[in-house]
Amino acid sequence: MKQNLQQFRYETAESLKIALFQIRSNKIRSFLTALGVIIGIVSITMMGTAINGIDMGFEKSLSMIGYDVIYVQKTSWSTMGEWWRYRNRPDLKTEYAGQINRIIADNPATELEIAVPQMSTYQAMATYKDRVLEQIFSLGTNQEYLKTASGDLAAGRFFTPGESAGSEMVCVVGDDIASGLFPNENALGKTISLKNRKFRIVGVFKKQGKFLGLFSFDNQVIMPLGAFEKVYGRKMFVTIRVKIKDETRVVEAKEELLGLMRRIRRIAPGKEENFSINEQKAFKSQLDPIKNGIAAAGIFITGMSLFVGAIGIMNITFVSVRERTREIGLRKALGAKRKTILLQFLIESVMICLLGGLVGLVTALLITFTIEKAIPDFPVQFSFTLVFASLGVSVLTGIISGLAPAVNASKLDPADSLRYE
Amino acid sequence: MEPVIISMVSLCRHYEMGDQIVKALDNINMEFRRNDYAAIMGPSGSGKSTLMNIIGCLDTPTSGIYELNGTNVAEMDDDELARVRNREIGFVFQTFNLLPRMNCLRNVELPLIYAGVAPEERHERAEQALLSVGLGDRIQHKPSELSGGQIQRVAIARALVNKPSIILADEPTGNLDTATSHDIMEMFGKLSNEGNTIILITHEEDIARFTHRIIRLRDGRIESDERQ
Repeated sequence: MKQNLQQFRYETAESLKIALFQIRSNKIRSFLTALGVIIGIVSITMMGTAINGIDMGFEKSLSMIGYDVIYVQKTSWSTMGEWWRYRNRPDLKTEYAGQINRIIADNPATELEIAVPQMSTYQAMATYKDRVLEQIFSLGTNQEYLKTASGDLAAGRFFTPGESAGSEMVCVVGDDIASGLFPNENALGKTISLKNRKFRIVGVFKKQGKFLGLFSFDNQVIMPLGAFEKVYGRKMFVTIRVKIKDETRVVEAKEELLGLMRRIRRIAPGKEENFSINEQKAFKSQLDPIKNGIAAAGIFITGMSLFVGAIGIMNITFVSVRERTREIGLRKALGAKRKTILLQFLIESVMICLLGGLVGLVTALLITFTIEKAIPDFPVQFSFTLVFASLGVSVLTGIISGLAPAVNASKLDPADSLRYE
Repeated sequence: MEPVIISMVSLCRHYEMGDQIVKALDNINMEFRRNDYAAIMGPSGSGKSTLMNIIGCLDTPTSGIYELNGTNVAEMDDDELARVRNREIGFVFQTFNLLPRMNCLRNVELPLIYAGVAPEERHERAEQALLSVGLGDRIQHKPSELSGGQIQRVAIARALVNKPSIILADEPTGNLDTATSHDIMEMFGKLSNEGNTIILITHEEDIARFTHRIIRLRDGRIESDERQ
């Protein structure tokens, strides 16, 4: 047994030597053969990197809207686009926030911390002197808003309970609005116009970036609810923002909120509710199929290139077996067993694939690095899992593509092979 | 009497060629003893190569018994045959069959790799074998840097290196000029005197005359078997 193991070790060492020797003495051929694998591995790792990057950007966006806030709205996020299902639902009222807060104040076991009303429109327009910003997001709420949203103030303050209760014409603006209307001056304390109403800026948010590349937190104007209603009326879209106590217990919190809202709306048991409770997970469930679709298509396409590479290696290994028929015959005459010859050719194809895989990885790494330098916002994320996965794929490609020719070689008849011209 | 190494009893090797059966070897009965030095002769198509393949365990008989050191080879599978070739038989070929891009030492080491000999011992034994064929100073040379006679001596060193029971040489002088051929035959003579068993195949009378026993084949049968 020990003798066999030792023999196996020597034979494998010999096979490795032969493989290296073959690759070195046929440099161009080896390179061209490996090229298929190189391209395959580059595309697979780039694909993986891109998918990782999408995931990362997504997580970053989700953390912006917070994991511990759920939203009561007329429509559901997870079935966006099916607006007709919600058209006949009655509008929500901002007063629900107060009702919810009163109920949870009497319930020590509640999962909910606080409810904050919000009324908003995407169609707002802000002006300062002759500068105009269109399509900004205008939002009316109360002084508790920041408990349910991310965002730090760069300057000034959020509006006070007094300002909120008195519906005073003050606002807190996002970074894009501050820099858009006041490119060279301090926005704080200035007065801007929203639909010909004057608002004094009391606070400016720090830059936050876009949510999923769609909605910008830097493009919003936040004001007391009463002030919002003065400008835009009472018919705007209402959201009740509810902060929960423990973000690991979202399901329970949603369940509790659902019951509360049914109570407030007086919906009879067994009847479908006419509102929706949304959370950031809904985005995930919307985006996951898209992400998975991209991944599946990407893996299929890149897999094809690797498949083509594998065929190239199989072809070359067949040629190599043919060319070295006499050598195979000689080695068999000198005592090489079938599996020794099989292993020799397998090791050769695996080695070519592994070298191709390594070159491919380094190339992909360089490309990733370049992209990161050139476009810092572009989501790319290289991972070690990806490194091991692609090296694993290379070895597998080598085994798969080398197996048929290697079996062929191992089955050659020694007497015939020795006479092969 | 020296012990019997090879014994063949009613050994046949038939090939099917379409509907016809070609009897390449037909009822061969023969023995080789240790330290035999024999030449197998015959015109082309007489069955020399088939016989050589069977003696060398590169092929197995269709019927009959071929015993090598008391073991019936006819019943062995591929891997067992490979093992027997490795341990019991040292091949010398007409076309030398050295691996062209490896130096002499690596070429001679080859059978030892398949025998599972450790690298240091491999080196030492290969060097010894090359020394014994008079090529101690050519160890690092590649076959392309050697003359035909030297190449065949490297091949002989390779055949000797694993101390086989038989040295089997297939037309070992077929690609060499007369003077070099005689050198090589003297080398075989010396190996025979040292106690080795040598079987060689040739169609040249003057080469066969170097040996102690001449077996002539015709149409797959033994025509004559004479000691000299």
